[in-house]
Amino acid sequence: MKSSLSLFSLSLFVFLFSSLGASKALAQADFDMSKPPYFCSQELGKLPVQQGGRVKPIEVHAREVVKYLTGKTSAEGYSATVLYCLLSLEGLDLSAGFKLNHKIEHVKVRELLGDKEVSIIPYDDLVAKAEVLRIERQRLTVDDGYKKAVTKALNQAMLYQEIKIGQNWTLPLMNGPDVAWIPLTSFLTEERVLKQNPNTSAPNPFHGALFEAKSLYEQFHGTKHNIEFIFASIGFPSVGLIICLLALAALTLFKRFTLALVLSALTVLLQTVYFVFRIYISERAPVTNMYETVVFSGYSALILAMFLGHFKKEKVYLYMGLGYNVMCLMMTNFAHGMLSPGISPLVPVLRDNFWLSTHVTVVIMSYGAYALSWILANTVLFKKRFGTLTSRDELYYSDIIYTCIKWGSVLIAAGIILGGVWADYSWGRFWGWDPKETWSLIVFCLYIAILHGRYTNWIPTHRFVVFSAAAFMSVMMCWFGVNYILASGLHSYGFSEGGALFLGSFFLIQTVFIIMTIPFMKSDSSKTQTA
Amino acid sequence: MALNYQKIERTLGGLKLAVILILLFSLMMTIGTFVESYYGTEFANRVLYKRFPFMFLQFGMFVSIFFAAFVRLPPKKRLYGFYTIHSGLIMIACGSFITWYAGIDGNVLLHPNEPARMVYLDQDVFKLNFPDEGLAVEKRLPYRAFSTTIDASYEGLTLKQYFPYADLQLVWESSNRAPSEVALPSIQHSTQYMLYNENVSEEMLMSLHPEAIQFESSLSMGPLSLHYLPGPLVECFNHTNESKLIIWNSFSRTCTTPEELGIQVQQTSSGNRFLVMKDKESVYSFFPEHSPYPLSADFNSVLREAPVRLFNRALFETEPHLFLFGKSVAYFDREQEKWITSTYDESVSSHISLPWMGLKIALIRHEESLVPKRRPIAVLPIQKNNELIQGRERALEIQAQDQSFWVTNNEPLSLMINGRRVEIYLTKETLTLPFEFVLTEFKMDTDPGTANPASFESFVKLFTSEGAHNHHIFMNNPLKHEGFTFYQASYSQNPNTGLYSSTLSANVDQGRFLKYLGSLFLVLGSAWHYQITKKNKRLTPSSPLIAGLQSSVTDEKPTSGVQS
Repeated sequence: MKSSLSLFSLSLFVFLFSSLGASKALAQADFDMSKPPYFCSQELGKLPVQQGGRVKPIEVHAREVVKYLTGKTSAEGYSATVLYCLLSLEGLDLSAGFKLNHKIEHVKVRELLGDKEVSIIPYDDLVAKAEVLRIERQRLTVDDGYKKAVTKALNQAMLYQEIKIGQNWTLPLMNGPDVAWIPLTSFLTEERVLKQNPNTSAPNPFHGALFEAKSLYEQFHGTKHNIEFIFASIGFPSVGLIICLLALAALTLFKRFTLALVLSALTVLLQTVYFVFRIYISERAPVTNMYETVVFSGYSALILAMFLGHFKKEKVYLYMGLGYNVMCLMMTNFAHGMLSPGISPLVPVLRDNFWLSTHVTVVIMSYGAYALSWILANTVLFKKRFGTLTSRDELYYSDIIYTCIKWGSVLIAAGIILGGVWADYSWGRFWGWDPKETWSLIVFCLYIAILHGRYTNWIPTHRFVVFSAAAFMSVMMCWFGVNYILASGLHSYGFSEGGALFLGSFFLIQTVFIIMTIPFMKSDSSKTQTA
Repeated sequence: MALNYQKIERTLGGLKLAVILILLFSLMMTIGTFVESYYGTEFANRVLYKRFPFMFLQFGMFVSIFFAAFVRLPPKKRLYGFYTIHSGLIMIACGSFITWYAGIDGNVLLHPNEPARMVYLDQDVFKLNFPDEGLAVEKRLPYRAFSTTIDASYEGLTLKQYFPYADLQLVWESSNRAPSEVALPSIQHSTQYMLYNENVSEEMLMSLHPEAIQFESSLSMGPLSLHYLPGPLVECFNHTNESKLIIWNSFSRTCTTPEELGIQVQQTSSGNRFLVMKDKESVYSFFPEHSPYPLSADFNSVLREAPVRLFNRALFETEPHLFLFGKSVAYFDREQEKWITSTYDESVSSHISLPWMGLKIALIRHEESLVPKRRPIAVLPIQKNNELIQGRERALEIQAQDQSFWVTNNEPLSLMINGRRVEIYLTKETLTLPFEFVLTEFKMDTDPGTANPASFESFVKLFTSEGAHNHHIFMNNPLKHEGFTFYQASYSQNPNTGLYSSTLSANVDQGRFLKYLGSLFLVLGSAWHYQITKKNKRLTPSSPLIAGLQSSVTDEKPTSGVQS
C-alpha cells in the first residue's frame, strides 16, 4: 500500500507542477517583437482584468473566452492566455499569425451562412456575416434550438470582434484609489512602454508596463486575482477526479480498504481546499450555480458516506460515496457545455450568505444522501440481474438504502423549510408554488411514500429497491429538470444549455435498466429457501 | 357503532390512504409545475394550486395526518418522534390555512416623491364610477383561468364575457357613420408601419380616423418623434424655399410658400419673424416660431378654425422628427442638410431607410377609410423568463343600450348611458393602508463594468399618526410596520424621465408563527423518530456486495422484517 501511495503522490506532484514549471520557462524565453507570439506569454495570465462584473486574472478570463469561442481551453498550439493575448494584439496591428476557426454546430446556421456542408469557418468570416445573424435573430420569434444557435454564433462573433480590436482586455489605470479599466489598445502607448527601465526584472518593456499597472492596482485593491491564478493553475477538478478514481479502484478492484479510506480522506481534503479557495474568491457559499452544486453534492455525499460508514461499521458506504463523487467529478470535468465552472456575480436576491449557506447546502446535501441510496439500489439491482444476491443480503442492503433515504428525507425537509423561511424573510411568502419549491416537495413526498410503505412492510424488499432507484429520477428532475426543462421561476439562476439532453438520457437509461431487472425481481425466492 | 367509528378512523389514519394521497398530491404538483412553466405562475394558481380539488386534497392529507396520530393514542414511547412530526405537520397546515384565510399579499407601487397608500391585491374587480353623482360600484370578477360568461347587471350595464387572459387583435372595420355629404370627404386614413433596425423592431399603427380612438397621430420613441399627417401634406416638404415656411390650406389641400405667394416675411423689433397674408376676405397674421395657427388681424385671438396653417420646418431640423403621410415619409437629413421625402413603391416588402441608428421603416398596411380597432380575444397565456408574452390583458365585455363594449385592464371605458356619465375600470382589488409612503430615493448598484443590477434599494419616508420616519428597504431587509411587512420586490424605470419607481410587496401573515413552530417540530421530530426507531438488531450479509468488502460487524441473529 505504501508504494502505491508514494507513486500516487509523485504523480500528483508532477501534475501540480508541470503547469507552473511550463509557465516559468515560457516567461523567460527571449521575446521577439517581429513575429508571434511577440511578448505574449503564460506569465501574463497573472494580470488582473475586469470582465463579467468582477476582477479576475487573465488566465481565468482567457480560459473562459477561449472555451466559449472554440470549445477547448487551448487552440492553434497556444495556451488560452497566449491565444487571448495574440488575438488582442491584432488591435495593435500585430498579426496573430493564425486564423481562429469557428465551428458551426447547427445545420440551419450553416445554411444561413452560405453552405450546408461547411462546418468550420474562420472567425473573421463569421464577424463579416454578423449582420446576417443579427437579422435572422431579429426575424425569429420562436425560442427554439435554432434561435439559440443563431444567438450563440452572434455572441461569439461579437466577443471575437471585441477581443480583436483590443477592447476586451482591460487594464487598471489608477487614479489614487480609484480604478478605471481601459482597453489594451489605449493602455499600451509608446510612452508607457518606452519609459520602462530596461534594468528591471521584467523580461521586456511590455511586461514591465503591464505588470507596473498590476502592482499599482494591488496597492489599493489587494491581490485576490493572484490567489485565483494559483487556484486556476492547480486544476482541482482533474486532480480530484484522479484521486477519487484511484480510491474507488483501490476499493473495488484492488480490495484495499485502508488505502481507499486514505485516498477518500485525501479527496475530501482536496475538495475542502478547493471550496476554501472558491469561497475566498467569490465571497459566498459555494452553491450558487449548477457546477458548484454538483461538486458540493458529491463532496457532501462522500463525507456523509464516510461518517455513516464509520458509525455503522459498514464498508459499503464508502463505495457509495466514492462512486457518486466520481460521477460528480466526471460531470464537472467533462460536461462543460452544461455546467459552467466560471465564477460570476449573483442575482441580487441570492446575495445573502447566511441563507445560501444554510438552505442551499442542506438541500444539496439531501440530494447527496438520496444519491447514495440510488447508487446502492442500482448496484443491488445489477447484482440480482447479472450476478447473484440472496434475499437475506437484499434485505440487508435495503436496510442501508433505507438509512440513506432517511437522511435524505430529514435533510430535504429541513432544506424545504429553510427555503420557505428565507422566501418568507425576503419576499414575504413562505410558499409560492415556485417550480423548484414544488419539485422539492414532490421529491420529499415520493420518498416519504416509499418510507411509509416500507415502514409497514407494505412495500416488500425487492420492490423497495426498485422504487429507491426510480425515485432518484425525481431528485434529478428537481435538481436539473426545473432549470433545464421547466426553466422558469425564481430558482432559474443556473440555466445553461445541453442539460435537457443529459437529463433525458439519464431518465431513459435508468428506466431501461429498471425494466431490464423486472424479470429478475423475485428470482431470489428460490434462493431464499436454500439460504 | 363503536366498531364503525374505529373502522373509519383506522381507514382515515391508515398508511394506504396516506400513501395514495401523497402520490396523488405529487402527481398533481408535477402537472402543476409543467402548467406553470408554459402558462405562467398565475395561470397555474388559477387552474390548479388555488382551486378546490387541490385544496381539498390538501385537506384530505391533513385528515390523514391527524387520524394517523389519533389512532395511535394513547402515547407510546417509541412513537414520540412520530407524534412530534405529525403535530408539526398539523401546525403547518393550520398556519397555512390561517394565512390563506386571513393573510394579505399585495403590491405597493411607489413613484418617486409621490405619496402612496394603496395595496394592490390579487383579486380582479371591475369598478363603475358615476363621477357626477359620486356613486361607485365595485364587484369581484371570478378567479378563473379560462374565459367565463358572467351575465350580471349593474346600473343598466350588463357584464357579458370575461377573459382573464386576452390579447388585443387588430381588426379593420368600416365606419359606423354615414359617409359625408361634403364634396371633399375629410382625410381619415390609417397606416400600419414597422420601424426597425438591427437590434429592435416596433410595429405601430397611426390613424387620422375620428373613430380610431385607440390610435394616435403622433408618437415618440426615445429621442425620435413621429407625426402622422394627411397624405397631401407631403407636397409641402418638397419645397426648398429659404424661409423654410410652408402655408397649408386645408380646404383646397394645397401647399404653397410665402415666396411663391410673394408674401414678405418680416421681423419684429425683438427679432421674431412674422408674416401677414390675405386669404379671400380674411387677413391672417402668423408668428411661425410660436404657433402654426394664425392670429386675427387685431392680434387678439388665435384662429384655430382657420383653413390656413403655417408650418415652420426649421423647428424640426435639430431633433429627429419623422413625418408620415400614409404612403410617404419626410425627414430632415442633417448630413445632406436638406429635407428628404420618399414614397413607398407598390411592392409588399418596400422600406425606407432613415438617417438615425440604421433605422428603417416599412409600410405594412394602408387604409383610406377603414377604422382600425383593437379587439380582445381570449388566449392561453404563455410565460417566458418570468414574464407573460401572451395573454397580458384582462378583458370584460359590457353591454349597454344594445351595444357591446370592451373594457380592458389597460384601457378604461367612458360611456354616456341615459345621460349619465359612467367610467368603467377593470383593475385589481385595493386596500388602503392606514399610513402613507413616499419614495424619496431609489438606488441601484450594478456589477462593476456591466449593466446587471447588483442590488436595488428603496429609501422611503413613512407617514404615520406619530410622525414621519425614514426607512431603508432592500433585498433581504424588509420593513415591518403595524402588522404589515414590506419587501423590495421589483423596480421600473420611466423611459422619459429616467427616474426609478419601486414596487414593494406588502404582506400580512398571521399564520407565520404556527408555520415556523410546526416546521421546527417536523424537522426535530423526524430526527428524533429515526433516532428512536434505529434498529438495535443488525443483519450481516452472507456475501459482500462488492467482492472484498466484508462488513466489519460480527454476525448477529438475522431477523425477518425491517422494522415492526
